[in-house]
Amino acid sequence: MDKQPKPGSRGSKLVTIPTFGRAKHIDPWWGLVALVVASIAVLVTVRPDPFRNILLFVRDGVTVTIFITVTAFVAILVVGLLGALGRLSRNRIIHTVSTLYVELIRGIPLLVQLIWWYFAFPVVVQHVGEWLNVSALVNYRANAISTAIVGLVFCYGAYMTEIYRAGIQSIPKGQMEAARSLGMTYAQAMRHIILPQAIRVVLPPVGNEFIALLKDSSLVSVVAVADLTRRGREFMSTHFNPIEVWTMVALIYLVMTLFSGRLVAWMEKRYHPET
Amino acid sequence: MEGPVIRIENVHKHFGRVHALQGISLNVDKGEVVVIIGPSGSGKSTLLRCINRLEEYNSGRIVVDGIPLDSTQNINAVRQEVGIVFQSFNLFSHLTAMENLTLAQRIVRKRPREESQKIALDLFIKVGIPDKADSYPLQLSGGQQQRVAIARALAMNPKIMLFDEPTSALDPEMIAEVLNVMLVLAREGMTMVVISHEMGFARAAANRVVFIDEGQVVEESTPEDMFASSSNERTKLFLSKVLQI
Ligand SMILES: Nc1ncnc2c1ncn2[C@@H]1O[C@H](COP(=O)(O)OP(=O)(O)OP(=O)(O)O)[C@@H](O)[C@H]1O
Ligand SMILES: [Mg+2]
Repeated sequence: MDKQPKPGSRGSKLVTIPTFGRAKHIDPWWGLVALVVASIAVLVTVRPDPFRNILLFVRDGVTVTIFITVTAFVAILVVGLLGALGRLSRNRIIHTVSTLYVELIRGIPLLVQLIWWYFAFPVVVQHVGEWLNVSALVNYRANAISTAIVGLVFCYGAYMTEIYRAGIQSIPKGQMEAARSLGMTYAQAMRHIILPQAIRVVLPPVGNEFIALLKDSSLVSVVAVADLTRRGREFMSTHFNPIEVWTMVALIYLVMTLFSGRLVAWMEKRYHPET
Repeated sequence: MEGPVIRIENVHKHFGRVHALQGISLNVDKGEVVVIIGPSGSGKSTLLRCINRLEEYNSGRIVVDGIPLDSTQNINAVRQEVGIVFQSFNLFSHLTAMENLTLAQRIVRKRPREESQKIALDLFIKVGIPDKADSYPLQLSGGQQQRVAIARALAMNPKIMLFDEPTSALDPEMIAEVLNVMLVLAREGMTMVVISHEMGFARAAANRVVFIDEGQVVEESTPEDMFASSSNERTKLFLSKVLQI
């Protein structure tokens, strides 16, 4: 975990690094993103059959992948914060529940969790429905996309909880004490003092989680979600050209992950203008 | 209100096996400046932190300005009456000096932004750094940071100010600028409890010096009596070590 600058490094914000014209504004790694996009373009133009066909076929899968990743990630950010506050809570019950959540979830493979939510959870709901005599529950059917999102949120929320917790704990104890001794409540101190500082610390690992989630979202193809990976498999099963299909799918994932990586780097820079 | 403004009665505090406060009692009157001295680990900081309940104590009683430190409500009430200044400044590092002073005024005291900024500007002048309002803590020297920290506490209009070794993290040339601000406060009649081994400050400002050892008050008297003619062996031993430096 990145450390905050030490108080001793006073005036570090004043240091200006010599720059050469506008060069400092352009991050050379964007070039890599452009390179991968270019290779897709070349493949599509030079050999439209099958590459253009593949691209058109998996297009809606890309939309699904992005939708699932972004929606789940927003929820994960919230779950992680609640989890972290729970882990740091002095309330025994809240602390135990959130600790159990983290420990149990992290011990089960994501794929198994997704399968459980899709195949086992609806049956549980139906049984409960029979028991309570509620027909809405008895007739419950899993919606593939929302079930997949729930599964991803539950799993990644546990990891995010630990990232936030570590970030909050990396803020020196004196910050909370100073805030409390000025009469702020715990919630006020968290909101105005601790979390704004913790965000800088957790931004890099949180960004990594986003990219990991983007990749892991390919697992939802196993539970009936027509994401990029599943669309690739569908295309292959009718055209039998694994090299072309999976190279294309890999390149599309690469564009998305590299692009996200640059976005994360750009945000980090905005929060740490001095580095 | 009559009687002591801080009343500490037979307070005990344990950190696991460490018995940090061993039945300590101390009263501080309104307008009084009390300097606390004592060896490292004797419980000075713990005592100070108990006064605004940054530390819980195990038994005994502390009453601040007539408010007993028991319920959460009372603890928040006391914290609004008591300002504390730490050895390590503890300025909010993501906020400018100005924001450090105005945040609690706005969200705790519910003052409008303009009013809180006006109060802050007056305090920056008072502590001698009128031009640093827009600086971030990391851009300030230690002495400037500590003066911002003092101003931040004063912005809440506390009745009592606590200082825990406010100058011991500072380079020698910065100590005076902080002590001078404290001296002005003392002259203005602020009730102050100061942990410090700056004998010059104690002589100039303290009504009373309290020597603490092993979680108890060993001796208390005027600075003159304490430094020149203490008859207590433990006090004399400690003072001989401190005054040597
Ligand atoms: N949070 C804590 N956990 C465990 N022990 C503690 C804690 N805080 C203080 N102590 C112990 O309590 C005793 C008193 O500590 P305290 O910080 O009050 O001493 P002090 O007089 O302020 O010393 P110094 O001059 O070094 O600041 C010490 O033995 C210390 O180790
Ligand atoms: Mg101390």
